[in-house]
Amino acid sequence: MALRGKPTVALVTTQFWEQGNFVAEARGMPTLPRHQLPHPVAGTGHGSMAELAREIAPQLIATLRQESTPIAA
Amino acid sequence: MTELLEAENEAAALEFLHAERCTDGLPVIIPTVPRVDRMVLASGVDGDLSLGSMGPGGGAATIRAIAVNTVMAGCRPDDMPIVVAAITAMLQPEFDLGEMQGTTHSTAPLMIVNGPMRDACGVASGFGALGPGHRANASIGRAVRLCMINIGMARPGESDMALLGHGGKFTYCLAEDEESSPWEPLHTTFGYDAEESVVTIIGAEPPHSVVFQNDADDATSPARLLKSLGATLANLGSNNAHFRCGMQTVILNPEHATVLADAGMSRADVQAKLLEYSVNPHDRLAELNPIFVRPDDDGDIRAVRQAEDVVVLVAGGSGLYSHVLPSWAAGMHRNVAVHARIETDLACEIPGLTPNPLSSLSASGQGPSE
Repeated sequence: MALRGKPTVALVTTQFWEQGNFVAEARGMPTLPRHQLPHPVAGTGHGSMAELAREIAPQLIATLRQESTPIAA
Repeated sequence: MTELLEAENEAAALEFLHAERCTDGLPVIIPTVPRVDRMVLASGVDGDLSLGSMGPGGGAATIRAIAVNTVMAGCRPDDMPIVVAAITAMLQPEFDLGEMQGTTHSTAPLMIVNGPMRDACGVASGFGALGPGHRANASIGRAVRLCMINIGMARPGESDMALLGHGGKFTYCLAEDEESSPWEPLHTTFGYDAEESVVTIIGAEPPHSVVFQNDADDATSPARLLKSLGATLANLGSNNAHFRCGMQTVILNPEHATVLADAGMSRADVQAKLLEYSVNPHDRLAELNPIFVRPDDDGDIRAVRQAEDVVVLVAGGSGLYSHVLPSWAAGMHRNVAVHARIETDLACEIPGLTPNPLSSLSASGQGPSE
């Protein structure tokens, strides 16, 4: 999506943060916006995930609004 | 990858390679220029030729880069065409190598060698073929892994996210025991001639042992063996059981293969029965992992999509145990087996420079030397 010029933000948990950086670099998108989440998210229950979603949604929207420039591959 | 490094001596070079995370944790042969040049020559193609980019890091898999890692693994030049074929196969998009390298699952590329190069390079297919003690199996599989580390840039916890890994991530290579197999060689089922040498690659977990005692007085023996294998193909802890896909490997020992062949079964017949027997009740799957259940699920759920998705070969010593190697069953193509011909007719002798490395295919077993 980022390569197509769509505003994009990657959600990456702490355990995979380093891998996210590696993949972004390897794919030629080192500045791709990434938002760090606690680990784990999956399996923590609907209530917990909904709370997390409410907490980060404004930040994600703000990031998406600021980042609309296509990232060169 | 092919940047020229300098060190005071080989011991210092080894420590440098360890420090730079260029090894698998074990000592390596130092890839000096003469050693690498000889390995490139054994490939029969130009060192600058790139077979493609290797994920997840996207490094260029040039013949020279592959040769560097093949030297490091302790391979002989004679082994180089097998390594090149393996990398050629793995770089096919259907293999999803970049994604496979990054998964948390404990998958590793299993290499199966068929054809005359098995004997030429001494790739073992009998007792302990996936264990220690077989130089070609150990070093050829290791060369592929080192390529995945240094060209694909797969580093534990950074870009290789396997939660635990397994021994097959050091080396995972064997030959099919074509001589003991009651069926045609595996590679002919992919359209190759029996006289061709081919490497087949499939992502695989470690081997899961399947115990079976034949009873010649019991007419149900072949079916019992097939049901035992099917139950293991559908083991309830596997990705295959819950994702209902992914090619899997069955390695029959010669004795078990003979039980099935004596019952009049071809390889295709065996595959069809394994498809039939690798099922789980929907309720059991739902009990264990309800998140993977689908709204229209009902009855028995197959762990295999089609008969051809079970790769059946013959290897190992004869006895009680055959083996099932479940798989990752993910990535865009859901764990597809890939294969490539081992090119042995590309190298040529350069008068006065060096002997043709492929002219001594059954040679001494000496390590790389300058």
